[in-house]
Amino acid sequence: MNSVKADNGASLLEVEDLAVEFDTYGGIVQAVRGVSFSVEKGKTLAIVGESGCGKSVTVQSMMGLIPMPPGRITSGSAKLKGQEILGRTVVNGKEIRGSEIGMIFQDPMTSLNPTMTIGDQIAEPLQVHRGYSYKKAFNEAIRLLEMSKIPEAAKRARQYPFEFSGGMLQRAMIAMAIACKPSILIADEPTTALDVTIQAQILDLLQDLQRETGMAVILITHDLGVVARMADEVAVMYAGKIVEHGMVDDVFYRSAHPYTLGLKEAMPTNDPSLQHELKPIEGSPPDLFSPPRGCGYCARCPYAMQICNQRQPDDTFLTESHFSRCWLHHVSSPNKPDQLYFKEEA
Amino acid sequence: MSNLLEVIELTKFFDMGRNQRVHAVENVSLTIAEKEIVGLVGESGSGKSTLGKTVLGLHDKTAGQVKFRGEVLPQKYEAKDFRRFATNMQMIFQDPYSSLNPRMTIGEIVGEGLKLHQNHDSSIVRDKVAIWLEKVGLHADHMSRYPHEFSGGQRQRIGIARAMILEPEFVVCDEPISALDVSVQAQVINLLGELKESMGLTLLFIAHDLSMVRYVSDRMAVMYLGSLVEVGRADEVYFDPKHPYTEVLIGSNPEPDPELERSRPSTAIQGEIPSPVNVPAGCRFANRCPKVMDVCKSITPQLIPLKDIERQVACHLYT
Amino acid sequence: MTELLSADFRPLEAGQEIHGISRPSQSYWQDAWARLKTNKRALASLYLVIGLILFTVAGPWVWSVDPAQQDLDQISRPPGSERSALIVADYAPWDTEGLRFGEGLTLVGEATTQSVRLKWDALPGANGHRVYRNIFPVGPERSYGIPRAEFFDNSVVTFEDRLDLKVLTYYYVLVPLGPQGELLDNYEVIEVDVHRVTTVLEAIDQGLIEESSNLQIGDALNLDWHPLGTDYLGRDMLARLMAGARVSLFIGIGAPFLFVLFGVIYGSIAGFVGGRVDQLMMRFADFVVALPFLLFMILFKISFGIGPGESGVFPMLVAMVVLMWPATSRLVRGQILQIREQGYIHASQLLGAPRRYLILRHMIPNTLGVVLVTITFAIPSAIFTEAFLSFIGMGVAPPTPSWGSMSNEGIKTMLTTPHELIFPALFISITVLAFNLLGDGLRDALDARMRNQE
Repeated sequence: MNSVKADNGASLLEVEDLAVEFDTYGGIVQAVRGVSFSVEKGKTLAIVGESGCGKSVTVQSMMGLIPMPPGRITSGSAKLKGQEILGRTVVNGKEIRGSEIGMIFQDPMTSLNPTMTIGDQIAEPLQVHRGYSYKKAFNEAIRLLEMSKIPEAAKRARQYPFEFSGGMLQRAMIAMAIACKPSILIADEPTTALDVTIQAQILDLLQDLQRETGMAVILITHDLGVVARMADEVAVMYAGKIVEHGMVDDVFYRSAHPYTLGLKEAMPTNDPSLQHELKPIEGSPPDLFSPPRGCGYCARCPYAMQICNQRQPDDTFLTESHFSRCWLHHVSSPNKPDQLYFKEEA
Repeated sequence: MSNLLEVIELTKFFDMGRNQRVHAVENVSLTIAEKEIVGLVGESGSGKSTLGKTVLGLHDKTAGQVKFRGEVLPQKYEAKDFRRFATNMQMIFQDPYSSLNPRMTIGEIVGEGLKLHQNHDSSIVRDKVAIWLEKVGLHADHMSRYPHEFSGGQRQRIGIARAMILEPEFVVCDEPISALDVSVQAQVINLLGELKESMGLTLLFIAHDLSMVRYVSDRMAVMYLGSLVEVGRADEVYFDPKHPYTEVLIGSNPEPDPELERSRPSTAIQGEIPSPVNVPAGCRFANRCPKVMDVCKSITPQLIPLKDIERQVACHLYT
Repeated sequence: MTELLSADFRPLEAGQEIHGISRPSQSYWQDAWARLKTNKRALASLYLVIGLILFTVAGPWVWSVDPAQQDLDQISRPPGSERSALIVADYAPWDTEGLRFGEGLTLVGEATTQSVRLKWDALPGANGHRVYRNIFPVGPERSYGIPRAEFFDNSVVTFEDRLDLKVLTYYYVLVPLGPQGELLDNYEVIEVDVHRVTTVLEAIDQGLIEESSNLQIGDALNLDWHPLGTDYLGRDMLARLMAGARVSLFIGIGAPFLFVLFGVIYGSIAGFVGGRVDQLMMRFADFVVALPFLLFMILFKISFGIGPGESGVFPMLVAMVVLMWPATSRLVRGQILQIREQGYIHASQLLGAPRRYLILRHMIPNTLGVVLVTITFAIPSAIFTEAFLSFIGMGVAPPTPSWGSMSNEGIKTMLTTPHELIFPALFISITVLAFNLLGDGLRDALDARMRNQE
């Protein structure tokens, strides 16, 4: 209903109305408050947002990576090829984690075993899930490392994680994630801890692998530059909700939500002729300990209206594949967003 | 404009035992004029943070000098040296979490400098802290709260208030925005800009994000593996980089413009920054440089001024 | 859905709380307390520890019995045992004249704690008799008990037992002796229930009644009440447990505080100064760790030369402090080394903070959480060490009670009167468990990172 569906019908992964809460000693934090999206085969969906907006929790809850308690999925469904995966680890006889959906993280060091060689760690799931012999699995691991463009892969496979640099570790993580040929790769801030030159290498690698294997990628990031480079579709999250969702060009060039616009204006441009002041978004995101009654962005929004503080806005579809969750789009709203945004240029 | 700070052939090695040394900063010379903002950029491991800390005396100097208003600063700082220069030089830290003592209230953190320096009544300290909290965009009644109750951006404001309360002339900003969210980065940048104007500050702004550094800096210095490779006016360096490394650094940064990104070929260069323990002979960038020549692998290029423009580059392409 | 009015779409007035913080302010310790409160195990343990301290400190006021006082009438009495006594006349020697025989082994008169009088007929084939007393029924493969008397004369057919009679059921065994004094098989057994009696004089002596009281023979009287019974010397268990708790907790809490304090100072100096000094100090700590604990305890005890009337608490305390600080100092040094690289230390240095200020204001407060947890875990281990040393006789000197020495005494009568062992052992176990659970809770409450990993 809320998700953006492509014309060809069935999506690879469909998430409907997902909500996640956490018990803390002082009360309940509503980290994700009803998120819906879908992912198409071979496409890249970027989920963008600030820290604490719930973008990581969304995918972690799908993968069963949230400790429960204190975490709790209060509603929603996530269907992989039509099969429900929330709360399950196996679908159609295959493990979801690792086999159907691969995942890479911001800090690869924490998800690797420091006492096992890289090659063994990549080979292990192949032995377990695919029933490969150790030798076959290890050779496959070397091939995967080569696919991830790690030089001297055969030698590197026999090394331990601490002998790898950050960029190399992330490559090894990617090799491990794609070992069982998953249909979806979730990349949770894969380049945030890396330098720009290494980031460029990793992003190129992800694109190459996607082209070769045809897997879908869910890219979680806060960097609009990375989104512009990688994404087909973009979902902008704020305070536990998706506030804008659409094709990458729609979201960047025809931004419909004031938050998306604010993010863009807060970033420096590369246009030498435009030496505009950086326009920050004042304030900080709301504490999801006591989520606001109305729109979560209301307190920081320069276009906020009375209604914004009182009621949650609905999704407004601007085109078939582009929606925004903002009162400015309402028929009764005196200001239409495009008037507000482009008046300076006009 | 006169030079406020002069860094002359500064070198900082860390001994690791077993005759191993980390060449964190090697032979760096840089001048910073009064009321100037110099941006220092480089990848992690380039030694830019070490340079900033060594300038302030948080690390002992292995070789070279730092002059402040012509006065040579001590090679190794004692507590009394820090005390002497506290009202001249301060620092804003990268990590807004580890740079605030979790057991102290905001009032105590911001007022620490005053408490250590002037025998003011606690009421005067309180008033001054309140003024500074307001100046950095917080509320005076946040004084009794603890750091963990604030967001990253707010913590960075607290760190700024702590550094500014002694009204220093020169401030090293060590990646003050890299741990912050995009929407908050601009808040902190603008705050620093305002304070610079009102207080006449001189800043050394360390960052890894060139596009942000271009916004805040007058001049830009690019560092690679412990050495400066290019120094010049910020805009000029950004739009007309001379050193191949600067070029790569700028090209690697994806821009929030999908059409541009789609049309742009891959900018990734091979390889990674070498370990500063085993610094290669010759140009340090030679193993990754797309324009490498034979001479680069044997002779270390010096940072030399270019003829036509105000620019210094350490590259054999220009010698 | 209600109608939306155009008024709803007026711009929102500015002036909202932009940097609003909705959660209440909490310091580190308040936060930790809030976490601890949600941990039921730790909270129960905390109450238990408080109760224990009250027991130790306030207990002696409520129960003001001298722990060294012996109640010879009630030796090794379990809690809740019968303590009434009948007043009888003073003891008079037994006149065996005019006894009628022919009934085999029989009891003459009442069996009382004053005396048990037996008569019998000579058994067939006997050249004499031996009388045994047992507290268990006699049967095949069972021993007869303690030999009480032996007569190589068949004409002696009476026996009066006055030896240490307690309120018990005794089994007297009469065994005939053969010509060579060997035991014959045809023994006889009689079961005797002993009742407690006392005389007016004795009761006055023990302060149970006033001299002027007009108790008559045949009246009943209650002996002193011992809620947890008495030990093998007739001392009140409750009073001794309280006195023992004082020793155990004094060492158990005092020693950790002292050695943790020393460890914090030592460790923070080593960590802050660093370099060669640090290396030297840590090697010395390693040296102390390598010393064998038990051997040193014994050496300390000998070199202090505990004289009569001294309790031996002080040497034990010194030994523990001297030998147990290195663990804390290592921990604190590690913490300090970590904290030294934190931004707030650099910031404080740049503001001109002297070393002392850095250590006292920044470093030590940030290690306090870890130190507190260390103390809570050191307490049970110190209590246990004290108990162990006292148990093997290397700890406090008698008559000073401690839970360990009480256990040691209790183990001798473990089979007949288990309460003498059970009570001190129970106190040791519960205390050690409570402190450990409290320590666990504190660690979880103070270190949220560790909590998240669980």
